[in-house]
Amino acid sequence: MLPLLSLTLATLLVGTLGTFFAGARARWVALATSILFLLEVALLFLNYSGWPGYNGSLVPGFSESESYAWIHLSWLQINYTVGVDGISLVFVLLTAILQIATVVYSWGETRRPGAYFGLVLLTCLGSFGVFVALDILLFFLFWEAVLVPMFFLIGHWGGPHRRYAALKFFVYTHVASIVMLVGLLALVFYSGATSFDFAAVYASARSLAAVPQTFLFLALFFGFGVKFPIVPFHTWLPDAHVEAPTGGSVLLAGLLLKLGGYGLIRWAVELLPSGLHTTQPLLFFIAFLSIVWGSVLSLSQRDLKRLVAYSSINHMGIVLLAIALDSSLGLIAAVLLMFAHGIVSGLLFMTSGSVHHTFGTRDIPSVGGITPTTPALSTMIMAGSLASLGLPALISFPAEFTALLATWNGLHYWVFVPLGILVVTAAFYLWMMQRLLFGPPKGIPREAHDVPWYEGAGMGILVLFTILFGILPGLLVNVIVSSPIRGWPGT
Amino acid sequence: MVLSFAVVGLAGPRLKRLEYGGWVAVGFAGAALVVGALIAAGEMLNPGQYTNAQYTWFQLPAAPGVFPHGFELVAGTLVDPISALMLLVVTVVGFVVMLYSIDYMHHDRGLARYYAELSLFLAAMTGLVIANNLFEFFVFWELVGVCSYFLIGFYYEKPSASSAAKEAFLVTRVGDVMFLLGIFLYFYNYAVLGPANGWAANGFVFVNGNQPFLAGVMGGNSTLLTVAGIMILGGAAGKSAQFPLHVWLPDAMEGPTTVSALIHAATMVAAGVYLLAVTSLFLGFTATDQLLIVAVGGFTTFFAATMAVVHPDIKRVIAYSTISQLGYMVLAIGAGFAMVGLFHLFTHAFFKALLFLAAGSVIHAVGTQDLFKMGGLRKPMRLTAAAFAIGGLALSGIPPFAGFWSKDDILAAVYSQLGSHPAYWPFFLLAFAAVFLTAYYIFRAWFLAFSGDGPRDPTLAPAHEGSWVMQVPLIVLSALAVGSGLLIFWPNFQTLLLSGAGAAGIPPVYGPTDLLLSGASVALGVAGIGLAWTLWGNGKVYALSETSVAQPIRRLLLNRYYFKVGYDWIGARGVYSVARAADFVDQFVIDGTVHGFERMFAALSERLRRIQSGFVSDYAAYVVAGLIAVFVLLLLVAPYLVSMAGGG
Repeated sequence: MLPLLSLTLATLLVGTLGTFFAGARARWVALATSILFLLEVALLFLNYSGWPGYNGSLVPGFSESESYAWIHLSWLQINYTVGVDGISLVFVLLTAILQIATVVYSWGETRRPGAYFGLVLLTCLGSFGVFVALDILLFFLFWEAVLVPMFFLIGHWGGPHRRYAALKFFVYTHVASIVMLVGLLALVFYSGATSFDFAAVYASARSLAAVPQTFLFLALFFGFGVKFPIVPFHTWLPDAHVEAPTGGSVLLAGLLLKLGGYGLIRWAVELLPSGLHTTQPLLFFIAFLSIVWGSVLSLSQRDLKRLVAYSSINHMGIVLLAIALDSSLGLIAAVLLMFAHGIVSGLLFMTSGSVHHTFGTRDIPSVGGITPTTPALSTMIMAGSLASLGLPALISFPAEFTALLATWNGLHYWVFVPLGILVVTAAFYLWMMQRLLFGPPKGIPREAHDVPWYEGAGMGILVLFTILFGILPGLLVNVIVSSPIRGWPGT
Repeated sequence: MVLSFAVVGLAGPRLKRLEYGGWVAVGFAGAALVVGALIAAGEMLNPGQYTNAQYTWFQLPAAPGVFPHGFELVAGTLVDPISALMLLVVTVVGFVVMLYSIDYMHHDRGLARYYAELSLFLAAMTGLVIANNLFEFFVFWELVGVCSYFLIGFYYEKPSASSAAKEAFLVTRVGDVMFLLGIFLYFYNYAVLGPANGWAANGFVFVNGNQPFLAGVMGGNSTLLTVAGIMILGGAAGKSAQFPLHVWLPDAMEGPTTVSALIHAATMVAAGVYLLAVTSLFLGFTATDQLLIVAVGGFTTFFAATMAVVHPDIKRVIAYSTISQLGYMVLAIGAGFAMVGLFHLFTHAFFKALLFLAAGSVIHAVGTQDLFKMGGLRKPMRLTAAAFAIGGLALSGIPPFAGFWSKDDILAAVYSQLGSHPAYWPFFLLAFAAVFLTAYYIFRAWFLAFSGDGPRDPTLAPAHEGSWVMQVPLIVLSALAVGSGLLIFWPNFQTLLLSGAGAAGIPPVYGPTDLLLSGASVALGVAGIGLAWTLWGNGKVYALSETSVAQPIRRLLLNRYYFKVGYDWIGARGVYSVARAADFVDQFVIDGTVHGFERMFAALSERLRRIQSGFVSDYAAYVVAGLIAVFVLLLLVAPYLVSMAGGG
């Protein structure tokens, strides 16, 4: 069988290098790479064997797995091991979609396009690696590989305070990664595993006693949680988003936040069930805090991008809640919700970027009534906002419905917290639309015209998937549930 | 099934940005009407539940303790007598409104958007009516909501329109959230806790409508069921503009009048009542729920009618009357007679659409909605005047017009249940009193607009009737406003009301008491019309003296009991202030702490710089020391902590 995952990695690697050195033609190389990537992901889906655990796969429970010896010591084996299951496959698809959308959207980037597109591709390469790596060291390498290009994207192509924002982003996430790394290493050594492979750690870690599991879980939760981001470690996010270039924001919200969620599921929840169990109250508390805090703060934002950034905190809070519920329904909801949020927040960040390009500001009170000037952009803003506030037939709804149902099943009347906040979420989006899109025109420069074709196309791709998976969420859910769902309760 | 065609077909014009998109939309609406009529005919002849075309969104296998019967989200169709009845309402009113729009809207911009949204609106409502499970119901419910958001804000350049659209969405959203929790609760009760026969084991599917799952009978958790019922009531109150979530409906008048007609007659607000009816028939309410529903409905009938009494805007008077009439339907469902409520929904749809379209005709002709500027319009607009009068008579419950039969059924039905709980009494009386107010305010509007010698505002454009596409709907709806109530005597139509509902829907038998009740309510209606005639008839304008003791009441009514002001205050002052405060905390407390650390580290590094001697060997020593420290931590301290904590 074709080593599809390594092939995809190689494609991305070659594409990234090619883009860096392609100079003015970088965008074409980037586009070609993205198309190839998307095709390979499609092939992955076609090839994906429903219950891979029973197909003689090298790593139980994973499809397309490959494993090659890397560093073998007498007491420790480090391998190049990759593989996908239903969960990682969904994230891989998200990566491919966001990559192509970002490349198309950024078609007009003229400031050092080679470096820009190269860094965009490198971010996606790193994320892809994180989603397929099944070895702790490999995972960590890719994890760190994502930070660097994002740091430069913000620091070089960003807004006026880009240096501050880039540094803040780097320090926060880097401190978190160190804690995470310590947690992962401790996980291996305490459990007595002799290999960094997921399967080996899985076999030994789950039987650890509750107390060490709790400590390990806390370390990993902190490491992954800062990426989420969880309140109160969230203040890097709005700053990073506001300063980042649009493409950077899209990847930051769409992929980087998901790394935290994916990591938490794969490397903490699946490995440390007792740890999750004992820390549940803390997770619930932080999740509720993030949900409320993100939504309420969105209401008071004037900057469109800050508004979307805080809404991300709210949505990722729901993801954390769904994960913390420790039920199969909750985990499905969490994965689906992250996919949905990746697409929708990407779309919203693109629209806010376009608002900035078109009107010279993202300050909501100073622009108004833009619909007659920019009908296409307004439609996109509306689509993104409605999707984000959970309108059925758009992608977030099935995810939120499932998440809230799982919350009811697990926590009963506590579900009022996320449910009540849905009203606030609707309020800040509707209020934003009322001020920005409707009413008499205000603060519109004379030369303002609708978005260029490439920006429209980039957003269009995301709208397309928002509707497609909104109407047919089963396409994704069937993939997610086809995983053996290691250690998921109730299966 | 053919219906899916209707759904897709109705949404079709979304894709077609034709110049004659209006006619395309009318064509599809006509096709839907044919299908709807055929289905209704089929149900009359062959009552029963037909379900097919099921599509699985996703499913999970059964898991003991979590989902004993598995978990499934599906979308499917269910046609039964109730949905056939509703389908008839939706398609008839939808078609008529579409046709009327051709002339009414012809001078507006954005017509492609208008017809596309209107079509989607109808499609969503159709989908809601034939949904076979609560989850799917909710999906279409939200789509109906968002379409009304678009249509209320159709004139988006007007700040008041976009504000009204936002208000409608947000207020109904409060209800939606409650509805969602209601869904969870019912699901949990029946599919997780309950024995799950009848109620589709693994999903939200409605089945077996003839055996409502009343609390106790099914051994469900009755507290949970009560809460679930309250949540459903909340959802319905949001959508159907019942107290205290009624505020959005009068403001929704910012949309085109055709949209108001549709919202008030067949879509949107009908969805809430339909939800209550379906829940009451398929899932069952506890006695506490029923009392609450009766209270909300009964109170709303009267409460909304009082506000209609003083309003100068012709559309808003009708809007308040909608809230009030919806209250009657809710009241009937609460008393346990879901089908009686739906019968009123059926007749009300026609005469309310008629009133709105007639009002639209007036507004189209004279360009104002202010009743005090109009006057004497019956001469240039005979048809409209007659249509409005028929609608008014139907609304006031004067026999043989449609409203009489259904409203009387409701009063009789509630009367028959008065014994079951003493608390029913006040709400029954309120509903009875509202009959008087209804007749008064609607004829006040009629006299102000149509009687007298001529317009009170001489600057008004000379009035004229609209073209035939506006007249035909008025004639059709007038006929229905007279005849739809009489349908109750047609056995085939009775089948629709009876066979879908089982015991819960039997209209009360006409006995001597009922005749007395009917007599009383008709007398009240006539008295209301009489009062309107005395005060406003023949072009008179009754002015309340400035010093009258009734002035504060009038102000209270005109200000809608200050509900809107209060809600705006909560939203704008309350929540927004909290948000501002939170923003402050976020910037200066949380991020401030971060900056504090930053400064601390900066100061620290200033001192630590001295350690940086620049010799590699020194650095190597630090690295080794650091590594040792890490290992000490990992190997010694952590196990110690673990043993302290009692694990290991």
